[in-house]
Amino acid sequence: MIKFKLNGSEVSVDGPEDTPLLWAIRDDLGLTGTKFGCGVGQCGACTVHVGGRATRSCITPISAIAGAEITTIEGLDPAGTHPVQEAWRDLQVPQCGYCQSGQIMQAASLLKDYPSPTDEDIDAVMGGSLCRCMTYIRIRKAIKQAAVAMRSAKTGETSNG
Amino acid sequence: MGRLERIAAEQDRALASATGLSRRGFLSAGVGGALLFGFARQARATQVFPAGAPLPPEQFEPTIWCSVGSDGEVNVNIIRAEMGQHVGTALARIIADEMEADWDKVKITHVDTDPKWGMMVTGGSWSVWQTWDVFRQAGAAARTVLVEEAAKILGVTPDKCVARNGVVTAGDRSLGYGDIVGQARPTRSFTPAELTKLPLKPASERRMVGKDVKALDIPAKIDGTAMYGIDAKIDGMVYGRPKMPPTRYGSKVVSVDDAEAKKVPGYLRYIVLDDPSDTVPGWVVVLASSYPAAIRATDRLKVEWTPGKTAHVSEKDIQDHARSLIADKNGGVMVVNDHGVDDAFSKASSVFERTYTCASVMHYQLEPMNALARLNDGVWEIHCGNQWQSLFLPVIEKSLGVASGKVRMMTYMLGGGFGRRLNGDYAVPAALASKALGGKPVKLILTRSDDMMFDSIRSPSVQTLRVAMTGKDTFHGMQHHAAAGWPTQVMAAAAMSKGVDGKPYDQFAIAGADHWYDCGPLRVRAISNDLANDTFRPGWLRSVSAGWTSWALEAFWDEVAHETGKDPVALRLSMLNGEGPDGRNKGEAPDSNGGALRQAAVLKRLAEKAGWGQPLPKDTGLGIATTFGQERGMPTWTAGAARVHVDRATGLVTCEKLWLVLDAGTIVDPDGALAQTEGGALWGLSMALCEGSEIVDGTCKDRNLDTYTPLRIASVPEMDVEFIESTEKPMGLGEPGVTVVGAAVANAIFNAVGVRIRHQPIRPEDVLAALKEKSAA
Amino acid sequence: MIKRILAAVVGLVVVGGLGFLWYAWYPALPKVALPKSGQFSAAQIERGRIVAAQGYCAECHTRQDLGGGPTLAGDYAMQSPFGTIYSPNITPDPETGIGGWSEEALARAMKLGVSRSGAHLLPAFVYDHFTKMTDSDISDLYAWLMTQPAVHMTHRENTFPLSITPRIVLAGWKMLFFRPGDFKPDPNHDAQWNRGAYLAEGASHCGSCHTPRNLLGAEKTGSRYDGAVVDGWIAPPLNEHNPTPVVWTEDELFAYLRYGVAPLHGPAGGPMSPVPHQFLSKIPESDVRAIAHYFADIDHAAQRVSGDRAALELAMQQSKRDLLGPTTDADATLYQGACAACHYNAAPSPVLGRPELALNSALWLDEPNDLFMVMLRGLTAPEGQSGVAMPSFYNALSDHDMARIAAYLRRTRTTRPPWTDLEKKAAEARKLVEIPPVNSSH
Ligand code: FES
Ligand code: FES
Repeated sequence: MIKFKLNGSEVSVDGPEDTPLLWAIRDDLGLTGTKFGCGVGQCGACTVHVGGRATRSCITPISAIAGAEITTIEGLDPAGTHPVQEAWRDLQVPQCGYCQSGQIMQAASLLKDYPSPTDEDIDAVMGGSLCRCMTYIRIRKAIKQAAVAMRSAKTGETSNG
Repeated sequence: MGRLERIAAEQDRALASATGLSRRGFLSAGVGGALLFGFARQARATQVFPAGAPLPPEQFEPTIWCSVGSDGEVNVNIIRAEMGQHVGTALARIIADEMEADWDKVKITHVDTDPKWGMMVTGGSWSVWQTWDVFRQAGAAARTVLVEEAAKILGVTPDKCVARNGVVTAGDRSLGYGDIVGQARPTRSFTPAELTKLPLKPASERRMVGKDVKALDIPAKIDGTAMYGIDAKIDGMVYGRPKMPPTRYGSKVVSVDDAEAKKVPGYLRYIVLDDPSDTVPGWVVVLASSYPAAIRATDRLKVEWTPGKTAHVSEKDIQDHARSLIADKNGGVMVVNDHGVDDAFSKASSVFERTYTCASVMHYQLEPMNALARLNDGVWEIHCGNQWQSLFLPVIEKSLGVASGKVRMMTYMLGGGFGRRLNGDYAVPAALASKALGGKPVKLILTRSDDMMFDSIRSPSVQTLRVAMTGKDTFHGMQHHAAAGWPTQVMAAAAMSKGVDGKPYDQFAIAGADHWYDCGPLRVRAISNDLANDTFRPGWLRSVSAGWTSWALEAFWDEVAHETGKDPVALRLSMLNGEGPDGRNKGEAPDSNGGALRQAAVLKRLAEKAGWGQPLPKDTGLGIATTFGQERGMPTWTAGAARVHVDRATGLVTCEKLWLVLDAGTIVDPDGALAQTEGGALWGLSMALCEGSEIVDGTCKDRNLDTYTPLRIASVPEMDVEFIESTEKPMGLGEPGVTVVGAAVANAIFNAVGVRIRHQPIRPEDVLAALKEKSAA
Repeated sequence: MIKRILAAVVGLVVVGGLGFLWYAWYPALPKVALPKSGQFSAAQIERGRIVAAQGYCAECHTRQDLGGGPTLAGDYAMQSPFGTIYSPNITPDPETGIGGWSEEALARAMKLGVSRSGAHLLPAFVYDHFTKMTDSDISDLYAWLMTQPAVHMTHRENTFPLSITPRIVLAGWKMLFFRPGDFKPDPNHDAQWNRGAYLAEGASHCGSCHTPRNLLGAEKTGSRYDGAVVDGWIAPPLNEHNPTPVVWTEDELFAYLRYGVAPLHGPAGGPMSPVPHQFLSKIPESDVRAIAHYFADIDHAAQRVSGDRAALELAMQQSKRDLLGPTTDADATLYQGACAACHYNAAPSPVLGRPELALNSALWLDEPNDLFMVMLRGLTAPEGQSGVAMPSFYNALSDHDMARIAAYLRRTRTTRPPWTDLEKKAAEARKLVEIPPVNSSH
């Protein structure tokens, strides 16, 4: 029995320790927003946050995340209005949408590390997230738009506070 | 309570407290329902099973395509698969515009299979084009009745009424559509014949078509609630993974040893499939209580097969065979065979001939193949995303040995189609495994390597093009011979076209070669590569043949231009004159009004935008290409340019910018059209430079992203896309973007460094070798 | 920690003939009654807890396989080519633990490597270091051990034939390699340095893993802290031979030892991982500082640190290499897909949680062990940087793929000569991971 926090709530999974986090989340815990793409850590469709850092859940065993805090697309923002999601909606990024949970989770963590990402930062960090529909042009745009929104929200906070 | 039941019970409780409904309640509501999205987020339970919306108490359904509820909601039924085109939004706009609906009250339902929908297929960029007339008529029907009924209630004549935004107004009084339905309870419905007689709005009166709109499917794809086939879940289901035989066809199971598999906790059993439809010969399915257990047990299951006869076929064998087929003048099917073509070639002073090849290309749709099958109330339900339900329902029926009508496909979103899900082969092993369990639900998922091993790849191809030269700078007469595996022959032979010689041929393995240029008498010959067909299951892949015939044709015209000392753009423009033998390039109403002249127009506009003819930095080149999209019968006039830089030291080609100009008639959903074009163009670039597999020992050598390398974000160029404004009938946009890029890149490389690469993908080593050869010469 | 009894065991057999009976003989010490609770002051017990943490007692005296065992109750499996040895129970259980041991018996074991029964202890119990501990530390340790919950538990039967190892063999080994005696402070250094040295060389026994051993399993005195292989991992050199381009300064060392992750050098993995998380984070900060201070001196950080700025700049350049457009290098493409999302860094300096491979010792060591081990096993949330995890590429990358990534990183991120035989080494590393950490599929 492995216990961890999923989107803020304590959960436990009964499966074998080597169960990939991806399948524990999708099949045991019923959150299917996290997707299975390659199964080998090279497409990014399964990206979740472990301790706030983007992590490929398809090759992360549940034994490795005991006690950790996991965030999936369903928990990125309670209302689904994380600035990255807002930008994604505004620019209509998704096509088939299958890669997009992973793209969004990866982008959200990119913006934590690099609040004003350059094209280089975006290319290097998002390079592990394959979009077969090739929505890359919009992904790039949306990340920049979200970055602006997050920065101005921040300065807004400081000036208010 | 087992693990699954416990989780289900927990979800039930959570759901009941959140919505006052049990999950089981949702499940039964789901029967007869379908995947629906539109407004706010669906309840959590839709992640378990897509649930139909409860019907409003009163509703008016003038046609099967849409209904208006007494609450004013307009539901539009969509029979096309959603795989990234936002197809429901585009199609619903057509109905909503014509019926003057309030867009905020429109929702879409992606329906399950039912004979009443007619042919269910999504591909070929056809959806808007196919639906345009039907949906406008359906919208007009709804509007006509609503106006008539409103007129009665308001006591005026219909011509005094104006319908706008879901409201009928006469003078200072008005009635919402919902009120009309609630009060008048209209029941009138229309026959197809009546429909065609209804008056349609003129283009100037369109209020939604062509205007930007937020796609209805997008919100669910941003918060994780969108349901794909792989997300389907049914109480009591078990998980399956196939164990793939060594060859796509003809493998026979000799023995199975599950001693090691039995050690995997959760392993249930294996099933050697017995498939009367012969879709999945030699497949074995491993069942387990969880998918990870199925993964491991399958790895550990030992199966011995006698492989089929293609166990040692290589890509080179297939391509060599293609060459010999082309060399044999008598094989294949004449798609175009103008009078005088033999004459032109026999009289020619010389023949300019080039051969172009393309490697196998894999779909790598991001959602691996999967299907959930069960027997429910005497009907086999197949839960999966699919592009051609009408094609595979009979196949599944045959494999299960059940009568027509006993299989139903439930609709889900597709995590990528690109043509892969036109082939529904993956539904068969799920159905057969469920049958072996007496109809218990089985969720079968292919791992990526399973998926790639038997992908319905874009066949490798060989094409030889010739023009008959009369002197050094003119030519008269052309031939285009193309050999490849034929998907339609293998999977849907009845849907093949007939050549001018009366023989059937796969239009999806030659379209693109039947061009709109006037270059004298033309012969287009399509040849089925039987060795390819026997080795793998050739597939339709985004833009199908136009993805590779255009690459050869448009590279060839560049070569011809250089050979004859002409400017490549000028040469093309001179041939895009709207004439040609029998005037066939004039075009026909409504689909190709204007003909080749519209293609000339996009090319001209492109040359202007991309700065054709202007100087560029060293080792940088601009290449252009133009096509009519994917099919002559529904042309999307397309022109594309690529600016590339070639690194002479490494052979590395960097595409810096792509320009596209398209005339697709009326643009129904501008942002969706742009997205499709962006995606298509990048697919073209990916196939031109990054993608390409190879048949080794009868299957594709690539099994995952460690060796198969589609374009990633860092290699994405700047892009400039323009649509020509038009009120002509809308054409498709899912694929035209693909068609021009390959040739544009090859032509740009030539313009940058003077070498001509005639094989796709263009790898740095090929460029390097060509550069070496050139400097040696 | 010290899980390398392999060489020591080989040594035992070789030196067997050299034993001397007189040297070998120690009397059994009498069994005593378990000290009463209340005999030790709370302050002494707390001091003892710290000593136990300084020496990581619980690490080797707690079962880790089979889902783990009760703390300090032993049964930790140590592999040797002749079989497996299971560590003893050191809870105060009178029958199966050390409940019948007097303080004198414990002190004799720590200082001389002799059990209460008079038997010589295997050098897997690192009395070559513990001998340097002060009597008062051992006394405090005794107080703490004797007040821990007693667990009645025997360890599994050794598959290594200890019973047939004559004590005389061990005695001979000790005569050759074991120099009992207290820690001698170095008057040329200040108190902090000496505190660090005392811990590092005594209770914390750093050399047990980081100093190479001779054929007979003893630490090579001439190669102190030159680095060595432990359970397939390389415990890197702790002296100036440490190859990372940015030196281990006192601050870097402190962060690493205290929190399990150093901003520039990355997280602690493998057998090192418990050291910060389970032990050094639970002792006074000043002790950890002292150890860091000591090693910053040992590796001559002060003399070498001037090169750090340039090294860091270079690493930041290399970090984005091949990630910013098409490349001709297929290995780079593989790296881009599998690794770069987490390991890319932009100037001026790596982000915490994005271990910068161009700075990490795994790429700069003579062999790719650590790189392969971490790729295969990943890092669990308690390891390395707390709360975050690195996936396991065990099933995701073939030996060939691992070799491609290793070769690529070595040639693009370091200035060291290429590693050889990478595919074979990847396969060997894979064999050391007994159970695939994750059930994924290619
Ligand atoms: S599914 Fe995990 S990275 Fe592709
Ligand atoms: S939107 Fe389809 S894979 Fe990215």
